[in-house]
Amino acid sequence: MFDALDISSSGLQAQRTRLDTIAANIANLNTTRNSAGQPIPYRRKFAVFAPGQASDPTQPGVRVTEISTDPSPYRKVYDPSNKDADPATGMVQFPNVDLSVEYVNALEASRAYEANVTTMEVTKSMINASLRLLAWSLKRPGQM
Amino acid sequence: MFFDQLLNQTNGPLLERVLSFTAARHKLLAENIANADTPDYRQKDLSVDAFNQMLQQRAAESDSAPPGTVGFDDIDEAITYPNNGILAHDGNNVAMEQLVSDQAKNALMHNVIVELLRQQFQQLQAALKDHVS
Amino acid sequence: MVNGITPNVGAVAGATGATAKSGAASGSGSTSFADTLKSSIDEVSRLQQDASKAVEDLATGKSENVTGVMTAMEKSDLAFKTLLAIRSKLMDAYDEIKNIPV
Repeated sequence: MFDALDISSSGLQAQRTRLDTIAANIANLNTTRNSAGQPIPYRRKFAVFAPGQASDPTQPGVRVTEISTDPSPYRKVYDPSNKDADPATGMVQFPNVDLSVEYVNALEASRAYEANVTTMEVTKSMINASLRLLAWSLKRPGQM
Repeated sequence: MFFDQLLNQTNGPLLERVLSFTAARHKLLAENIANADTPDYRQKDLSVDAFNQMLQQRAAESDSAPPGTVGFDDIDEAITYPNNGILAHDGNNVAMEQLVSDQAKNALMHNVIVELLRQQFQQLQAALKDHVS
Repeated sequence: MVNGITPNVGAVAGATGATAKSGAASGSGSTSFADTLKSSIDEVSRLQQDASKAVEDLATGKSENVTGVMTAMEKSDLAFKTLLAIRSKLMDAYDEIKNIPV
């Protein structure tokens, strides 16, 4: 029964990692340069899930196997005045992050997080109910 | 020997077997909920109907046999892959609403059976105590 | 003084059973105390078997009547405790009678 708590906590951790990548995507919505300052826009990242615990993939649970990048093409906007515009065409490349998609994914991740929290509460109530099997006999330690 | 029969003549063994079944099913349902977003994951479940059938057969046997002689521990539970008609774009077929309601029902049944088991032991203790508490 | 004891013995004997005609008047067709006791025990046993069957039906999924099971268990529990209380009173009364100096 206590394994069920491990399963739910692995779910919580996976969903939180996913939410972290979504938050990074939203924060970098308009990042046209990478961390070294070169004009390579930010690429959308997403978490890949797989069944199995992170410490032992044969145990039930879920884990994040990798944070992979989205290979879909960049968003192109015509803006010749921008510093990073292509001098020939005047197009600027923006990250391939779609805000509505990220919002919906964030909602789904938080709902899944809530579902795992509910599962943990149910597990705790089942364990507590089993504890009450002993509670009656422990109430009167003096008598038999 | 003698104490086994004494302690098992109520519904104790039957209720204990049901409790271990509901605990195992809870684990599976928790795993399904944790894997609600995993690509290509198929939902797992323990078949409640099959288990109940075997339990009813064994209970009918124990009704006709001397009390405390028929055991319930060797009834096994089979993992099934229910087809709930949902398939997401990433190959996942977890139905969240049905899972949450199944989990609630399972937990309620577990807690009710724990209460009944407690009552059984309480009755035995009252009989042993030799006076009304 | 001997006459003073008999009413007390009669009062004690009357307090232990519904009908105090133990053995002496059993031939006249009225139920003896032993028969009443035996039928009470049978009734408690029947109530307990009903409760046990109800619990079995709930646990194996045959019925979903949780309140019915709870009330059946409570009834059998109360009946059992009542019988236990009657038995305790009987034992106490027997001890009292036993200790009456003759």
